[in-house]
Amino acid sequence: MRITAPTLTCAAPWQRVPTGDDVVAVAERAALGTSARVAVWPPGSIGVACAAVDDVLAALDQQASRFREDSELSWLYGAEGGVFMLSDGLAEAVGVALAAARWTGGRVDPTVGEALISLGYDRDFAAIDQQRGEPSGIPVPAPGWDRVRLDGPLLRLPPGVRLDLGATAKGVGSDRAVRAVMSATGPEGGVLVSLGGDIAIGGTPPRDGWPVTVAEAPDDAGPPLPQLVRLTGGAVATSSVTCRRWRRGGVILHHIVDPGTGRPTDGPWRMASVAAATCADANAAATAAIVAGPQAVSWLTGEGLPARLVGDDGEVCCLGGWPPVSGLPVPVPSGSHVYAGARPPGGAR
Amino acid sequence: MDADRGHPGGRVPLRELGDPDPGVRARRNSIRKARRISNWTAAALVVGTGTAAAALAHQAFPAAAPAAGTAGQAGGAGTSAGTTGASPQTASGPPVSHSVATTTASGVTVTTTTTSVNGKTVVTQVRHAPAHTDD
Repeated sequence: MRITAPTLTCAAPWQRVPTGDDVVAVAERAALGTSARVAVWPPGSIGVACAAVDDVLAALDQQASRFREDSELSWLYGAEGGVFMLSDGLAEAVGVALAAARWTGGRVDPTVGEALISLGYDRDFAAIDQQRGEPSGIPVPAPGWDRVRLDGPLLRLPPGVRLDLGATAKGVGSDRAVRAVMSATGPEGGVLVSLGGDIAIGGTPPRDGWPVTVAEAPDDAGPPLPQLVRLTGGAVATSSVTCRRWRRGGVILHHIVDPGTGRPTDGPWRMASVAAATCADANAAATAAIVAGPQAVSWLTGEGLPARLVGDDGEVCCLGGWPPVSGLPVPVPSGSHVYAGARPPGGAR
Repeated sequence: MDADRGHPGGRVPLRELGDPDPGVRARRNSIRKARRISNWTAAALVVGTGTAAAALAHQAFPAAAPAAGTAGQAGGAGTSAGTTGASPQTASGPPVSHSVATTTASGVTVTTTTTSVNGKTVVTQVRHAPAHTDD
């Protein structure tokens, strides 16, 4: 008799990552369809730190995942518009996404959910058939973030508007995780949290800052050559069109969508790394830079954000004080645009 | 307001979905925190939140009082921005020479499943390579 075994997803175990420095401890596990990494000093804090990050990741996944049937966001998908009372966590995540949309002039827009589904990104990326023969659906421009109203925990969502928090949620998660670790481990020491390459730090950094590699993929050998920078405060995040790609009807698609067209972006930059006061700011700005295309340099410069852009031809462009060579610290601007500005676009004034 | 009648907690059934069976309703109420509410309830909460926000803006309440809604979120997160180190800090930690993390596109995905086979738990991790090759 054949028995069908029950299957469920679970939190992957943390695995220690040797780095060559005994004064810090580093651990990594799969999370949110990508990887989570925690680095702490003193190294004895790693167990407590990982437990704190686990709690944050579990809550964020429950709140904001498009790919879990039991998430709050999925529940919104099924309701076809209306007024909803959100949990504090999802309300914050949506508020940050709307603030990011306002800040970036709509270059990142949480209402691209339907556009991504139409393109075939309708499930966890690992489960996508990356070579499916039939073409994707008709591109669906984003309805517009300003049609969504958030007032405290109350969300008013027009029918047909589907949210995707992909441009900000990992940054929010890294910010939350750092706070959680610092709360659990106390004021001594320091922590770095990376969710899918979006990195936030807290506490006291190592001397000269946390050494962080900037690369298109963790095992990337270039060109351009990966760069090592030092992070002494704030956060850094990277967006790229060279990962999370799939094929539909012979056309290669990727996950960064221009809200105005509903199509994957086709600008001159294939990768953007941005440093900012918080990881949600950096996350949003990096994605906005890819979407902005030719306007990315002027927008990032105007915002005073240190950034490293890699063009389609591999040329590297450093802005806002981003170090042109390896080993130097990245300047970090103060002040958050997405947390301090997290207020409803049309709600309470 | 009619929608609220008989539902003192402000929880009303979804009209579109009808009145689900008790099991489904219980799951919705207990597990899912997001729930649809009537326009009247929403309006009342909006007014209440706005009033609270206005009062906070005028410092009618102690600054530490928890504020429902976006104002509270913004304040909390603003504090967190400072926690994460918005400005460069004086580095006094130990010297670390090797990279501890990579800022990169989130292209590496790992699927972890736990399968129960004949009473034994099998954890499987499948690591998917970044799909940045075009061929």
